[in-house]
Amino acid sequence: MKKMMKLSKSHYDYLKKYRTKKILILLTQISILALFLILWEVLTKYEIISSFFFSSPSKIMDTIVELFRSGELIYHSQITLSETLIGFAIATGIGFLVAFILWYSDFLRRVAEPYLVVLNSLPKIALGPIIIIWFGAGSKAIIFMCILIVIIVTIMNILNSFTSCDKQLITLAKSLGANKFQIFFKLILPNSLKDIVATLKINVGLSWIGAIMGEYLVSKAGLGYLLIYGGQVFDLNLVMTATVILCILASVMYFAVALFEKLMNKFYNN
Amino acid sequence: MNNILVDVKNLNLIYQSVKSETQALEDISFQIKNQEFVSIVGPSGCGKTTILSLISGLIKATSGEIKVLGKTPNPKDDLCGYMFQRDNLLPWRTIEKNIYFGLEIKKQKTGERKEYALSLAEKYGLKDFLKKHPSELSGGMRQRVALIRTLSLKPELLLLDEPFSALDYQTRLELCDHVFEIIKSEKKTAILVTHDIYEAISMSDRIIVLSARPGKIKAIHETGFKRSSTPFDRRKTTKAKKLFDIIWQEIQNEKNDEIK
Repeated sequence: MKKMMKLSKSHYDYLKKYRTKKILILLTQISILALFLILWEVLTKYEIISSFFFSSPSKIMDTIVELFRSGELIYHSQITLSETLIGFAIATGIGFLVAFILWYSDFLRRVAEPYLVVLNSLPKIALGPIIIIWFGAGSKAIIFMCILIVIIVTIMNILNSFTSCDKQLITLAKSLGANKFQIFFKLILPNSLKDIVATLKINVGLSWIGAIMGEYLVSKAGLGYLLIYGGQVFDLNLVMTATVILCILASVMYFAVALFEKLMNKFYNN
Repeated sequence: MNNILVDVKNLNLIYQSVKSETQALEDISFQIKNQEFVSIVGPSGCGKTTILSLISGLIKATSGEIKVLGKTPNPKDDLCGYMFQRDNLLPWRTIEKNIYFGLEIKKQKTGERKEYALSLAEKYGLKDFLKKHPSELSGGMRQRVALIRTLSLKPELLLLDEPFSALDYQTRLELCDHVFEIIKSEKKTAILVTHDIYEAISMSDRIIVLSARPGKIKAIHETGFKRSSTPFDRRKTTKAKKLFDIIWQEIQNEKNDEIK
């Protein structure tokens, strides 16, 4: 309330301008999407481009409704979503723990370095056949693929962030007699918070890649399975529908991380 | 001899690295009395800062002995308070939380200690800034926060490692007076490392001049100022000017020797 009363004319104008710009950006974003959808719909309706190869927004809507009624939409989404979430959680958790251990022990960090570099540059999909043989053609293999893709990046990003903490801050803590755990929880962790959240955001994308790639390899169900199946029988409606659902789910997960980021910031700024 | 707070005897330090070993300090001995203010000056790279690290117990000497109040120094004790060239405030903490940082590490964040820290902050003009973040404060203010963070642990001995050198000249002179004032009124002993000879002269009771690497004690000067005079006033005296010339010459000779 105080703030409202103190608003000067120039500040009011500034805020107004700021808000107008924000609304303009949002409107433009929505218009682009709408224009794209309308153009797509019209072009396919009059068969200027083939609706067989390109599907169309209305057909995608029909397919979504149809899949929803038959229960398949929920079924396949839920399978892929759970694989993604499990992979994301395990990889992020273990990755964080490994990063902590490697930060803690200089010896282990130097031992692990070349292994991390090789594992990072290895295309994980190359391990597909091995994973299938070890874990069978099921969800386990898919989750493992997902973990494999996410974990190395997690370790490298978070470890990099841990070790980049200002040396002088650490000297200060040491001059106060801090032990390594105190240094970690009072300096390293709060200092790395931004990077950790950034890693989580990257991991959202990567874990979807991992899950879909896994499903391409072995699945009998899931959105990746729908994509492959749709492609094989030339059902572009199905392919497009699965893609749209994927987009929606990935965005929701991304926003969940963004929300987490906001909560963390609030927590640390108090 | 109860009056001796710091006793350094025949200190040697040799740094090891993969490429070579370097003798950083050679046969350093000195004593510092309770509530004395001593400065260490010398050409750059002579191991001034290293002496502070040794006294605080952050690093171990190769040979020789250091006693602070009769004990071998250890950062876990509360004897020494270290103040750095940079304020090292944690940017994600408020000023108040920054002041408590030392207490948290030492697990002494009790009501009484917090109150003492806050009373210091109030006494030295930081009361209105407690809820702000470091980025909102000027360099001089931030350095004062760092000093209060150090003082809140009630150290016997303050180790000041060029605490003013990152500041602009105006602020530096002001803060010099401030810190001097604070240290005197809190009855602390202090060792100041600096490359600014006038700063050393104006603040100290004694000045230790080190030689170029390996650092040896080249000379020790008594400044002989009245305790009540401020650093700013001391700077203007002819005594300070004379002393400056002597120390300047000593350090200059060292540099020339090195070139030869």
